[in-house]
Amino acid sequence: MKAITKAFPGVKALESVDFDLHAGEVHVLLGENGAGKSTLMKILSGAYQRDAGEILLQGQPVEIDTPASAQHLGISTIYQEFNLIPQMSAAENIFLGREPSKWGGIIDRERLHGEAALLLAELGASLDPSTAVRSLSVAEQQMVEVAKALSVEARILIMDEPTSALSGGEIRLLFETIRGLQRKGVGIVYISHRLEELAEIGSRVTVLRDGLVVATHRVGEVALDELIRQMANRELKDHFPRQREAPGDELLRVEDLGARGRFHGVSFSLCRGEILGLAGLVGSGRTALARVLFGIDRFDSGSLWVHGRPVSLNSPRQAIAAGLGFLTEDRKAEGLVLNLSLRENVSLPSLDRLSSWGVVNRKAEQELARGFVESLRIKTPSMEQPVVYLSGGNQQKVVLSKWLAGRADVFIFDEPTRGIDIGSKVEIYQLMNRLTAEGAGILMISSELPEILGMSDRILVMHEGRIAARFTHLEADQEKLLQAALGRGVSRAGAGAQGRPAE
Amino acid sequence: MKRRDIWLTLLALALGAAGCHRGEPADSGKPRVALVLKTLNNPFFIEMQRGAREAADRLGVDLVVQAAERELDVEKQMQIIENLIQTRVDALCVTPSGSKEIIPAILKANRAGIPVLILDTKVDASAEQEGARFDTFIGSDNYQGGRLAGQFILEQLGGKAKVAILEGIPGHETGDNRLRGFRDAIAGAPGVEIVASQPANWERDQGFNVFQNILEAHPEVDTLFACSDLMALGALEAIAAAGRTGEIRIIGFDALAEARQAIAEGTMLASIAQFSDEMGRLAVENALRRIRGEEIPSSIPVRIELITKEQVDTR
Amino acid sequence: MSHLGRRFGTLLGLVLLCVTLWILSPYFLTPSNLVNVVQQTAVNAIIAVGMTFVIVSAGIDLSVGSIVAFSGVILASCLQAGAPLPLALLAGLAAGGACGLVNGLLITWGRLPPFISTLGMMSVARGAALVYTQGRPISGFEADFRFLATGELGFLPVPVLIMGVVYLLSHLLLSRTRFGRYTYAIGGNEEAAQLSGVSVRFHKSMIYAFSGLTSAVAAIILTARLNSAQPIAGFMYELDAIAAAVIGGTSLLGGEGTLTGTLIGALIMGVLRNGLNLLGVSSFLQQIVIGSVIITAVLVDALLKRRAS
Repeated sequence: MKAITKAFPGVKALESVDFDLHAGEVHVLLGENGAGKSTLMKILSGAYQRDAGEILLQGQPVEIDTPASAQHLGISTIYQEFNLIPQMSAAENIFLGREPSKWGGIIDRERLHGEAALLLAELGASLDPSTAVRSLSVAEQQMVEVAKALSVEARILIMDEPTSALSGGEIRLLFETIRGLQRKGVGIVYISHRLEELAEIGSRVTVLRDGLVVATHRVGEVALDELIRQMANRELKDHFPRQREAPGDELLRVEDLGARGRFHGVSFSLCRGEILGLAGLVGSGRTALARVLFGIDRFDSGSLWVHGRPVSLNSPRQAIAAGLGFLTEDRKAEGLVLNLSLRENVSLPSLDRLSSWGVVNRKAEQELARGFVESLRIKTPSMEQPVVYLSGGNQQKVVLSKWLAGRADVFIFDEPTRGIDIGSKVEIYQLMNRLTAEGAGILMISSELPEILGMSDRILVMHEGRIAARFTHLEADQEKLLQAALGRGVSRAGAGAQGRPAE
Repeated sequence: MKRRDIWLTLLALALGAAGCHRGEPADSGKPRVALVLKTLNNPFFIEMQRGAREAADRLGVDLVVQAAERELDVEKQMQIIENLIQTRVDALCVTPSGSKEIIPAILKANRAGIPVLILDTKVDASAEQEGARFDTFIGSDNYQGGRLAGQFILEQLGGKAKVAILEGIPGHETGDNRLRGFRDAIAGAPGVEIVASQPANWERDQGFNVFQNILEAHPEVDTLFACSDLMALGALEAIAAAGRTGEIRIIGFDALAEARQAIAEGTMLASIAQFSDEMGRLAVENALRRIRGEEIPSSIPVRIELITKEQVDTR
Repeated sequence: MSHLGRRFGTLLGLVLLCVTLWILSPYFLTPSNLVNVVQQTAVNAIIAVGMTFVIVSAGIDLSVGSIVAFSGVILASCLQAGAPLPLALLAGLAAGGACGLVNGLLITWGRLPPFISTLGMMSVARGAALVYTQGRPISGFEADFRFLATGELGFLPVPVLIMGVVYLLSHLLLSRTRFGRYTYAIGGNEEAAQLSGVSVRFHKSMIYAFSGLTSAVAAIILTARLNSAQPIAGFMYELDAIAAAVIGGTSLLGGEGTLTGTLIGALIMGVLRNGLNLLGVSSFLQQIVIGSVIITAVLVDALLKRRAS
């Protein structure tokens, strides 16, 4: 790709970007959110049209004007959000639009399943191709995506944040798959925020910043700190600037809480000024617990105290009234109303307070939003900008503003920094410091162990719906957390002793 | 700017269409008569339009024909009349979609000084109290037609029958009168029994469905009186589908071309003929007389006849 | 910005339509005809108000036409039974609101898709109107009731006045109040609205009840206008109302739409029908033209959106 330029209304997304990919290499694309990585790849996969520049495939200039023509050229993309049809089986998804048929049009189910099974076996995935996609785990769904990409004989495979939803073991498996593809001569573009993956899987790395290429390096010839500096253009001394406070009164107490089939026997408490880290694999019950605490789902055993009073929360509305705030894992699906403006999103949970006789006080609303745009340094052209046009980090700040605007002092943060660039991450950490300094308590769910270790005062690890271990921030290290999350090893005994004092 | 281009294209399309079918300008000197029908997707009204059109061509009348998309849409018919009043037609001929609901529209025409001729469906008697005036009613006596059908059963079919009835839209003067006439004619006849009477809302497909259901529930039915041929023709298909062609005697109403053919073939027994082309012709002729200031009778009857195989064959 | 542009687009379409009709027909641009058009538009425009709320909340209401019939016959039977006018009006409104509320409850508590529950209500309300009246229209009302359709205040006919008031109040409701904001939020992202503490069930129920209520207001005008309440009135009116909202820029995906847009959409349909009548276009051709307008309007809207993103 040579001198690719692309502009959106009001923003220059890419400015004369050069990018090349060899057969059998993994070329990692690094950059903060909004740096232009996704835009570049969307041009390569035919989802966007470039304004200028050219694309050469094996030396020949090519036109890629639709995703179909990209596929035809052997370019496949696996997006962060999967493009699978949940009700259909894995095999049907893999061959969607290219089903093997017999007698002129009738789908040959045997061949369909046979070929799908073959592809999946090649990837080392042991799943039944006739299973409906919605009943597969995230990692299995990703395998289906990879198989789908391979089924069209892809020469170039673009993977956008492929590990963001995977657990450690699943990541291993994915890397094995990638190495297998490399040996077959497939060129892979790998977009990631996780620097530690770079050394393990990458051949070369290109850093993008503000739509420009900063540099391209061979992996191994460059230090991680250097890459971070290039991405952010600023030195990041401390990723995790946690300032710890002495814990105050108890805000939230959970005793022997259980919800059938999701988690059971969960007990802990959260105090003012405290960040309680909640680690565990995807599916270990972390998010299910958060949903119960926020009144979205019901619990069927145990009890819940907020501010020292026993409560039964039947709806998010009641949870909010009790002083809770919930930063969801998926901000687009659950956190924001994308086509509403920044102002309207920020004020949504506080409209009761901001209106009299049902009429919204627009002035107060604007004041509120402006305050957060300034204090959280949200980059936006105006309060009236629909949030769909903001970058991931700024969107996350809008969701945070929603809860800060209310009167919450018990916060549940589910993956607060997922898919967010490093600069915004640090800002969000600082904000968490500010909240705890002001007397709030935060329950932070995260898959990123460094984040858990760096920011938490105490740490709970969940495994298969139970609390498998508890640590203070001084006791914990990555290995101990991982052991507990995987449900084995020494820390299990420790969990037994420490984990259930209530029993 | 693109947006505007698209709108312009659209307008051009609309106007192109309008241009082809545009009525003559008002000051062509010819008298303008408007004919507002219940609908144009029923052969009965298409015939009426044809009769009116022929008369208009012969007499040098500028005829505007308009109809709502659906027969039962009284509100849309009112809008059409309001809009025609705006174009200052010289006379208004209407087949009312609703015999009461037409009254406010007549009042509006009265206020604009436009003569009103009512066709086919009578206006409710309350029009007089409301002060609505119309110049004449041109139509056949539906009650009489219903009686004809009833008498036919008594006299020609030996007075023994298990009868099913397909009604029109309930509350419609036309259908109600046909039904009343029929029931009155067979009242007291010991051998004739009405085993089912259901509305099929004047429609052919509903005629099919409703009669299919009646056949299921009452297999003993041997005679059908349908308040319109369209419903009768629908029922005919239902009978064929049940494999009982020829077992059930069908008497329809309106004597549509298709029904006449069915009578000739023997699948239908009889139909009551209304001469809707004649209504159309009489409407235009009398409208013209009225425009010229001549007196016209307040009621102009149109003949009504029972059509059987004999009549069809001799034509 | 894009919102504004779109609204100007439909407004421009309306103006161009008027200008063209003015050129083509000497009868179009007369005060009496213009009043005529607005009066003819009132019924559809008022139904389209509730429909806009429903569609903005990412729902659909197929039962509005039948609710018009049902609340019309309730109103008419109260009047015929000699109930005082305000009481009869209230009964009609209550009947419409109740039908809408049932829709809302089926959707929220019964977890039925809006399409299904309102499709059911479409049939039930129509059937109820037919059973209640035994299929016969109820006609002949006192002058004080008929004033609501035939009367004039100054030079404005009462139906136009009613439409104006309905639009003014509903516009404020949709754009200025919490209820309106929640309507947009539910349509834009129901999950996020729920997690932000919006009582989605309550508000959705209210939105459908409101739609039933506006249908009942339309029924009042329709009944007074025809001096008759027909159990078969309002047949297929849901489609006209949906068309008005969609021409006016309301997105069927929810979260987007304004009442000014809907009003313009309803006027475009009204002016088009009126103009085609004035020009003597055959009723078959009229359907083609009206259908083309609906398709074109949505097509333009989609094009604009694609260009904006």
